Amino acid sequence: MTNKLVKAIERKFQVKVTNLGKHFAQMLLFKNLNFNVNHGDILAITGWNGSGKSTLLRVLAGLIKASAGRVDMFMNDQLVPAEMRRLYLGMVAPALSLYLELTARENLIFFSRVRGLKLNRTTIEEIIGRVGLKDRGDDICGTYSSGMLQRLKFAQALLHQPPLLLLDEPFSNLDRKGIKIVEDIISKQRLSGITIIASNEKREVDYADRVINLSA
Amino acid sequence: MRIESSTYLLEAAAIWMRDMRSEFRTRFAINAILMFALTTLITVSFAIGSFRIHVSEKSFLYSVLLWIILVFSALSGLSRSFIKEEEAGTIDTLKLSAKPQAIFLGKLFFNLTLLGVLELLIVPVFVILMKYPIKLPGYFIAIVTIGGLSLGAGTTIVAAMIARASVRGALFSVLSFPLLLPLMIVSIKGCERASEGVDVSGWPEVKIAIAYLIVMITASLFLFPLVWEE
Repeated sequence: MTNKLVKAIERKFQVKVTNLGKHFAQMLLFKNLNFNVNHGDILAITGWNGSGKSTLLRVLAGLIKASAGRVDMFMNDQLVPAEMRRLYLGMVAPALSLYLELTARENLIFFSRVRGLKLNRTTIEEIIGRVGLKDRGDDICGTYSSGMLQRLKFAQALLHQPPLLLLDEPFSNLDRKGIKIVEDIISKQRLSGITIIASNEKREVDYADRVINLSA
Repeated sequence: MRIESSTYLLEAAAIWMRDMRSEFRTRFAINAILMFALTTLITVSFAIGSFRIHVSEKSFLYSVLLWIILVFSALSGLSRSFIKEEEAGTIDTLKLSAKPQAIFLGKLFFNLTLLGVLELLIVPVFVILMKYPIKLPGYFIAIVTIGGLSLGAGTTIVAAMIARASVRGALFSVLSFPLLLPLMIVSIKGCERASEGVDVSGWPEVKIAIAYLIVMITASLFLFPLVWEE
């Protein structure tokens, strides 16, 4: 019990967004966004198509720069340097692809190696099993359905057990089984960190404690 | 949370191995490079076969032709190293997974492997087909090897720069040319001297090519994170 409590304290993660704005050329997507997300929170970002939901996730992930404002991340109240953020986050989005010429196992082994993770075969098998791809793990990903690829994206995003999970339309292309797997992942993430979901789907947004509507 | 504990080289090796595996399955870059090199080589050998060139001109002209074939073959395939990540949508997944310097080194190792294969196949065929006289084989091998490494370093950083541009093909050649011109001049001169068998004490061209290689890799390791993050 004490160990669990210590672990929970050790892993306290926080995201703080201050006056965040983003525009492409003359087109303003959002401005003056201010919010905090604390450990255990699930935040949903909603808005019309083109309102900047996916862009906001990409800014949070550090894939693109904000036009104004700042994003700060804290681990146990210590500021996480911008160049270290990728270690603390996992992202699943339609725009983030995996290597279609490799098998699922090869993809996961590659991403674990490139992240410097020392994962043994058992752990990789466990992760593949968790997303329900154990029987197809040695098939080339180019032969996968879009739903299977979506499951594999989750496996890749969770390899390093990140405290921050950024999900862009997480249920897209998934069947009932796949949705159940992702629901489990989101539920477990509530215990181990933060989840930010960009979506307009009621079923996905319903998981959130708070909603930020970019069209408002 | 699993914390990573690795070095740039281990991560670069993982990227190199992944690129090699993908290339082995798709054979996109190696096919492009080898087909360009072979067709150019055959065209050159038919058009200006050894019997049409005066002996005194051979060393210089063949050195020029050899490097034209090597450089343009490299340009035809090495630009793909970053473009294929962009086109496949894996570039952001890679950005979120690896350190920028490790990505550059991994791609550099991959491009050097391709260039190594290209030189191993094309240089001996060129020498035999064109009856290219080489009086200092050691010096020739050294300049071709170091020149090839430098060519790989130069094209890798340019490939990274143009990956997100809309007119990549043209831009790759335009940006590569001024960067590779000094290397081409030095390599051609080195091959010419190896062919003529003149005094090469101090190995001047090899030293210049090594200096070019060191400068290019050092500058690229500093520049690449800026190119990569933008």
